[in-house]
Amino acid sequence: MGLVGPNGAGKTTLFNLICGRYRPSSGNILFKDIDITDFKPHAICRLGISRTFQSSRPFPRMSTLQNVLVGHIFGKGFSLHTRPEDSDMARELLEIVGIDHKADTPAGQLTLSEQRRLDLARALATRPKLLLLDEVAAGFSPVLVKQAIELINRVRERGVSLLIIDHFLNLSLKVSDRLLALDHGEKIAEGPPHMVMRNRDVLQAYLGLRHQDEND
Amino acid sequence: MTYFAAKNRINGSKTYVVGFVLGLLTLITLPIIVHFNDYILQVFTHALLLASLALAWNLLGVSGSISLGHAAFFGVGAYASALLSLEQGLSPWLTIPIAGLFATGLGLIIGLICLRLRGAYFALATLAFVEIPRVITDNWDALTKGSLGLVGISGLPTLRMGDWHVDFGSSITASYYLVFVYSFVLLGLVTFVFRSNMGLALQAIREEEIAAESVGIHVNRYRLLSLLMSAFFTGVSGACYAHLVRYIEPGLVYGLHFSAIPMIFAICGGRFTILGPAVAALVLYPVDQFIFHPLLPAGHEFLYGGVLILTVLFMPNGFWGKLRNAS
Repeated sequence: MGLVGPNGAGKTTLFNLICGRYRPSSGNILFKDIDITDFKPHAICRLGISRTFQSSRPFPRMSTLQNVLVGHIFGKGFSLHTRPEDSDMARELLEIVGIDHKADTPAGQLTLSEQRRLDLARALATRPKLLLLDEVAAGFSPVLVKQAIELINRVRERGVSLLIIDHFLNLSLKVSDRLLALDHGEKIAEGPPHMVMRNRDVLQAYLGLRHQDEND
Repeated sequence: MTYFAAKNRINGSKTYVVGFVLGLLTLITLPIIVHFNDYILQVFTHALLLASLALAWNLLGVSGSISLGHAAFFGVGAYASALLSLEQGLSPWLTIPIAGLFATGLGLIIGLICLRLRGAYFALATLAFVEIPRVITDNWDALTKGSLGLVGISGLPTLRMGDWHVDFGSSITASYYLVFVYSFVLLGLVTFVFRSNMGLALQAIREEEIAAESVGIHVNRYRLLSLLMSAFFTGVSGACYAHLVRYIEPGLVYGLHFSAIPMIFAICGGRFTILGPAVAALVLYPVDQFIFHPLLPAGHEFLYGGVLILTVLFMPNGFWGKLRNAS
């Protein structure tokens, strides 16, 4: 599912609400029939919702592999020591996102695109059922966007539901089954991508057609 | 750059292992090397005690919280153990760990109130918090004798095994070995914590808290746990100090000295390393006592300030961190 909307529409805010960073002033958030409105972020992660960040947030002085290990170890509980199979698992995820050759590099030294991949690998390491991706492809060149699309399709094959924020629509149109459009914090359209993109309110929000409407 | 969990790197460096073993052998044979010179041994006993304080401070420091108030735990530990042994006649073997628990209790109160703060705000809150136990100790004359302090505290205890016994309070050499063993055990414990997954969580919290909670780490629980462990061992060190020096007063054990010193050693040695804080204590304190104190009796502690400024400017990872990166 893609989440679209213009600047300030509330896309990231919605993510922060779902993940427990902010508390809604009204309403409830349900996940698999559990009311998670008052849950703390770590508890929500353990229920199976994981996220990436708009500007990635690696643990800069820890190695790339350790970054993913943290997600693997704490995403579903706790064990006192890292077992070899935990490291293997983390390595496998680095391979999936294509940065396994940087496993021992401090995460702070990765390029922006690599940090985004790392964010994704770390989020996947928590074994989520629902993964929220915030602007994975923002600022990417067309080649990188294509790679990102392949990567997202690979994640989907693993049986993870995805909710993707996409500001410029360069990615969500290609990978989404459904789109949800937001403006000023309210849902303005929902449905198959081609329907939503033809919706009058969505066009208005993106392109500002109101003036033309009044002349009609 | 990536410190504790990269075990193979630590073990892989031969110079590191050789240096560690040599340092350890030097400390073990030190009394013989210095011909049982009481003054030198006394300085090194204190250096080891300060090393334990720096290690304990870093149990919290590793999670990114800078405490300027560890004298609160130190003072409570010192007073608890001194009073329990003076008034109740309990053996220091018993009162020293109990003193650690008292300090942990104070840590729980401070933690529940202050841990919602971050960075400089947390540091300032801990700095202010020291005043509470200090003022109570200073004014509760009936229990603590107030600003007069406590004198005649029993020395470090005797270890008995059948007929064989060592009285750790009887000579400076014996005290030296007891403090050495304590610091070494604490070092082992810190190593265990830092290299376990708990250490991984604490580092993650330090590096990027929002990301840490988003991958399932219960941030406040880990921060509190690291504060409690840190408080416990700082209290135990305070208790050891009371029985080592056998005289304590509020201005001394709650003084800024015992808040600042472990922080300075930890930062100079390397907050992101296991051994750095202890090495800094064992190098800087003797340098201060043997070289700077005779030269500048009034202002010898400027050494610490100077070294701290130089470290922060030129080696933000501490000199141990710098050495480790170079090798």
